[in-house]
Amino acid sequence: MTDADLHALTGAYALDALDEREAEDFARHLAHCEACTSEVRELQATAARLAGAVAEVPPPELHQRVMAAIGEVRQRPPRTTVLPLRPRWRPRGLPYLAAAACLALAAVAGGFAVQARHQADQQRSAAAQARQQAVRLTAVMSAPDATLHAGAVKGGGNATVIASRQLNQAALVYHGLPEPAGGKVYELWYSVNESMVPAGLLTPGRSDGTTLLSGGPRGAAAVGVTIEPAGGSPKPTTDPILLLPVSA
Amino acid sequence: MRVVASGEQSPASGPGALESLLERVAQGDQEAFESVYHAVAGSVLGLARRVLRDSAQAEEVAQEVLIDIWRTASRFDPARGSAMTWMLTLAHRRAVDRVRSAQASANREHRTALRENTPAFDEVSEQVEHRLEREQVRRCLESLTEIQREAVTVAYYRGRTYRETADLLGVALGTIKTRMRDGLIRLRDCLGVAA
Repeated sequence: MTDADLHALTGAYALDALDEREAEDFARHLAHCEACTSEVRELQATAARLAGAVAEVPPPELHQRVMAAIGEVRQRPPRTTVLPLRPRWRPRGLPYLAAAACLALAAVAGGFAVQARHQADQQRSAAAQARQQAVRLTAVMSAPDATLHAGAVKGGGNATVIASRQLNQAALVYHGLPEPAGGKVYELWYSVNESMVPAGLLTPGRSDGTTLLSGGPRGAAAVGVTIEPAGGSPKPTTDPILLLPVSA
Repeated sequence: MRVVASGEQSPASGPGALESLLERVAQGDQEAFESVYHAVAGSVLGLARRVLRDSAQAEEVAQEVLIDIWRTASRFDPARGSAMTWMLTLAHRRAVDRVRSAQASANREHRTALRENTPAFDEVSEQVEHRLEREQVRRCLESLTEIQREAVTVAYYRGRTYRETADLLGVALGTIKTRMRDGLIRLRDCLGVAA
């Protein structure tokens, strides 16, 4: 095959639609074709979006089996023999931030799993809703423009807002929120042009969790949390106990 | 994904949260792996089910892929693409390997049966629910020409080689290669994908 012929195979390669031998030939070609390499990367990232679009809620048994297995599975060492003490691509001076991002994501994932499982146990419509949330949450987390802001909640606990303007979607991950007194609830808000737009309620009685905000962050400067009477309010009746920016 | 501290106005550019997590996984951090699991397991399983069309096999493959992510996390190179792409590429290859080895053991008649049982794109897309990400992908798939769309979805969601796809769709080999590339490029532009 000529190079031009090989170049035409970028799409088929990204879709894993070459047979074994052709894929090997093409991989060799990639090693000395910069243009193909960059095109293949983009097309692989595109194909991965096709996978994201068919996400479903995995059964808890899969999680148990995988977590049990990794305790026994030996990891492969990195290909490079020189291992930098600090990974070369982590921004220097920001270890705390990177760690906070990891923790927040861990909380997103963990909290969501519990929520997803809980919902799946209910009815089909609830399971469908959880599936929808799984897809959305994955989408928000992997959005190239997603921003992540973490902060402490006045009165206890902490929360992280993950927002993507491109997808116009935001999620709140929260941890260790005390039960509000007198049957009150936590209400979420978008701060838009100095006014507060309702963005949903946190599930009462749960101190940890993940929730997708209703509405989108486009045009909003921040996400706020207030304590409101049961059922929520159309406008905040108390001062925010948390206010996190959603802009970059 | 950019990471910004509370109250700070300027973003720190750097790797996404998932990339940072994978790096910790490579160092044997099981908690980090747990987070990676929750971020990707749904897509891995959904994809395996699409390609394999069998619940038990899909779960087996998903399990293998997830364990493989743990095992080979140190091989992830952020310079070559996002963590999500790396993991889902791994998942697709594994599902495709499984479906092709099953095929290899089947005979020609099976191949004929396959042709009859291949769902049109509409059937595939019908199962793609009206959800945000799904909706966007679907909308973008619809912006492809029919042959581009079928070439991309049959190859990706059914794990077919371009030869088989050409055969199934009754299109010349040269044409199918081009349509896969054109189709993915159009999809890339519609979804706003960067490498």
